[in-house]
Amino acid sequence: MNKFLKRLGVILLVLVFFIYIFFDVDFNDKRPVIGLFKNITHSDSALEIVDFSVDKPSSDKVRPAPNPDKNPYYGDLHVHTKYSFDAYVFGVTASPDDAYEFAKGKGILHPLGYEMKLQEPLDFYSVTDHGFYMGMIQAYADTSTDISQNYFAEPFHNLNAPENLVVESAGQRSNIFSNVLGAAIAKPLPWWHPRILKAWFTNNTQLALESFEYNIHKSAWADVARSANEHNDPGHFTTFIGYEFTTSTDTEGGNLHRNVIFNSSKAPIRPWTRIDSINPEDLWTWQDGLREKGIDTVSMPHNSNGSNGQMFEMETFKGNAINRKYAEQRMRNEPLVEITQVKGTSDTHPLLSPDDDWSDFEIMDKRVGSRPPTYSKPSGSYVREAYLNGLTLDWTTQGNPYKFGLIGSSDTHTGAGSFDESNYWSKIGLLDGDGVNRGSVPVNPEQEQLLKDYMTAFNQPNALIELEAGTFANTGFTQWGASGLAVAWAEENTRESIFNAFKRKETFATTGTRIAVRFFAGYDLKTIDLDSDSLVSQAYKKGVTMGSDLMNKETTTPDFLVWAQADKNGAPLQRIQIIKGWIDMQSGTPYEKVFDVACSDGMSVDPATNRCPDNGARVNINDCSISQDVGATELKSIWIDPEFDPTVKSFYYVRVLENPTCRWSTWDAIKSGNTPREDLHQTIQERAWSSPIWYIPAVNEYTVIPLGGTVAISDE
Amino acid sequence: MKTKLSLFFIIGFFIYLIDIGLNSSDNPKEIYISDQEVLSLVSAWESQVGRKPTEDEITRIINNLIEEEILYREALLLGLDQEDRIIKRRLAQKISFLKQETLTDKPSNNDLIQFYDKNKDKYYVKPAYTFTHYFFSAENSSLTRSTSGLKKILNGSLSIESDPFFLGKNFINKNKDEINRNFGKLFSQNFKEDIITNEWIGPLKSSFGHHIIKVNNTTPGYYPVITEVLNQVEIDLLAERRDSAIKEYIDAVKLEYKIFVNQNLEY
Repeated sequence: MNKFLKRLGVILLVLVFFIYIFFDVDFNDKRPVIGLFKNITHSDSALEIVDFSVDKPSSDKVRPAPNPDKNPYYGDLHVHTKYSFDAYVFGVTASPDDAYEFAKGKGILHPLGYEMKLQEPLDFYSVTDHGFYMGMIQAYADTSTDISQNYFAEPFHNLNAPENLVVESAGQRSNIFSNVLGAAIAKPLPWWHPRILKAWFTNNTQLALESFEYNIHKSAWADVARSANEHNDPGHFTTFIGYEFTTSTDTEGGNLHRNVIFNSSKAPIRPWTRIDSINPEDLWTWQDGLREKGIDTVSMPHNSNGSNGQMFEMETFKGNAINRKYAEQRMRNEPLVEITQVKGTSDTHPLLSPDDDWSDFEIMDKRVGSRPPTYSKPSGSYVREAYLNGLTLDWTTQGNPYKFGLIGSSDTHTGAGSFDESNYWSKIGLLDGDGVNRGSVPVNPEQEQLLKDYMTAFNQPNALIELEAGTFANTGFTQWGASGLAVAWAEENTRESIFNAFKRKETFATTGTRIAVRFFAGYDLKTIDLDSDSLVSQAYKKGVTMGSDLMNKETTTPDFLVWAQADKNGAPLQRIQIIKGWIDMQSGTPYEKVFDVACSDGMSVDPATNRCPDNGARVNINDCSISQDVGATELKSIWIDPEFDPTVKSFYYVRVLENPTCRWSTWDAIKSGNTPREDLHQTIQERAWSSPIWYIPAVNEYTVIPLGGTVAISDE
Repeated sequence: MKTKLSLFFIIGFFIYLIDIGLNSSDNPKEIYISDQEVLSLVSAWESQVGRKPTEDEITRIINNLIEEEILYREALLLGLDQEDRIIKRRLAQKISFLKQETLTDKPSNNDLIQFYDKNKDKYYVKPAYTFTHYFFSAENSSLTRSTSGLKKILNGSLSIESDPFFLGKNFINKNKDEINRNFGKLFSQNFKEDIITNEWIGPLKSSFGHHIIKVNNTTPGYYPVITEVLNQVEIDLLAERRDSAIKEYIDAVKLEYKIFVNQNLEY
């Protein structure tokens, strides 16, 4: 008997031990073999695929034939509607359906009551509402829903109270949100609650939050997906199911926001959000998982300018050394970056590119969502420096995680992108929908008092500025602008064709203008007749295009072919530039240089300065009229890099500049009969940037020990 | 007469006193939390959490209620609800949603057909054109070159000197809107269903220069059968019903209002 009890005791001990090991390992261990347990005990709700396609009767509509030389398709991949947690506060009621109708050319109403309408419809559009708590805040705020009756929803009933004071920045508002979310929303249920177990076993952290209602969330997401599929019209108008992964570093206030779009009418049952993880690497792992299930995605970082140097770091999110595995995973999942949008342009910063005369362009130097608007460190925040750092990382055998193509988009929160300087509505509805609130039109004494009261009540620094032109609200909106568009070179206007262009990085970005640009590199391009109709098909045959690698050909110097066409409704072109970046192959030191390669009005580039002469185009600041008969409808050139070294890693991208025109702030002032502010740029040179072409030399890799130790190439 | 009058005064005075006495209980600094309010919050808690709240938690729920009520009343005292566009809009939205919600029934086939017939033009599929062109860039005297180019080609010349066009040479099955996007309005306005086909015509001016074009083929526009656009028709019909429900409601209630707008306001 005693012996039996002893044996039983031992067996029980062993059993408890195994159960403990099983659970411990299962929950905490990420090693691949032991992690197998996970597959037995867990399902992954974020990888559950749903077919959102809409039954559409077949149509007899004729479709434009595909063009093997490709067409430029213009679109916006960053659009918020009422389902975004912040849109409600901005007074926005536009649904995804309204947003798609707007893109197709219909006018929709701004929360302030005026009509927003495109001068020319777009070719593609994606509604990308914030993924986390998608649909939830709307339900809290709507006091007729059940969930709004809970105490945690109460802060949202009154959320608008501070906004009664009229002039206030988005940053401050976002901060209210993060505080409220931090304190009341992100509160977990007690540990024994059944939903905690469900959260655990379905890898769905948000279920463990007291304030979360899965059904509301899922139905908002399903409506976003349905609407995208409903409006997709192959051959004529393309939509993508999409959302924004709104994450950030938790300590340095670094915005790491990304938009994710899907290539399919199918999508996971819910978006992967910052509640699942704030680490973008986990987003990429999820994207890899979806790809295994046959759904391809592209994620696109935006507002690196407001990331306080965190978007394009020289290390991983957790502070480890970047290695090739990281670089490959990042590039597999995010082939594109949004270089320009309403909240500023992220090409480069005057402190980073002091020799670039066009670098001081639509700089937004504040961290996204900071209160009060707080300085964002330039280094690590801009695209050109990231390209250079990518070369350096590659040189130190860590791989190049910054080999991305370029797009622009709007980030509008009204469902309707604002791309036209002369008809600008910014992006956050009631808060920046008129000149006074945007800081382009002087405040009246009453508004001035409101702002002062606001500053005292919320302990904020002075948000008024006294200028010769009057007293203005200075809440940060003056650094925003009417930008930008994503353009894809695709055979036809279908989801498949355009998505493939994104994957190839055969894209360019514009500041809202419909400039178009071709860019090729090869070793035999100078034999092409620039006046021939087969120019483009020959260039495709003989060279590579934007977004690609040009492999070295012994010591041969490559030719570059650029061709740009002006926006038919915009200003004429002033010049085409090629921006070159390279590193010293002995030390990894980065360099950059801007070359003018084509000038308007029959002028040619001065070989000593690499600059076009002034074409004399001017703007009349009193009425925004521009010089007539100056500038070009198209520019075209074959260019050879005068400093080419076949052994040096380098990249080349195109910047096309229009003649100067009035900035939106000048238009606002003139339309309201005021003087434009003297402290803002009064004119703007609308522009386009192509994705780069990377030149890959055939050189022996050196043994580089950059960090006091070699960098692990395989796993962390 | 006099006594009657003074009686009225005396009665009036008493009524006044009673009124003061009664209204003192309506003091704005007193907050009554009704049992019902607390019970409904407790039951919401229970259904959410799966158990009854503890003493502490009930205290917190009630405290939250009290604090909200205090802030609300202070806000009212400060007049923060007055003339606030956001609050007005919120309330207006809520009543609109309520009015819309009553419209949940699916439209019948008859309704759909009727709606389609009434709004046919919205679903019209525009004609599509297939054409090729010679382009003469505005950068290089496009009008004279294109005029002489057209002469040459009409005289049987098989190829003439022109410029490559940025978007290519052949355009297949493009409707007028798409042509407009590629060439501009000046050019696209030439495209009508009776445009001359299989003949070189021009020169036509575009935003980029001049063109000589040959239209090979025109696909006529048509009104699609309703089944082809059924989803869209249903969405549009429901949208219209929602709009008109609110409109009817407003129209009905509007009659009870007298509206004053300054006719002489200058803007």
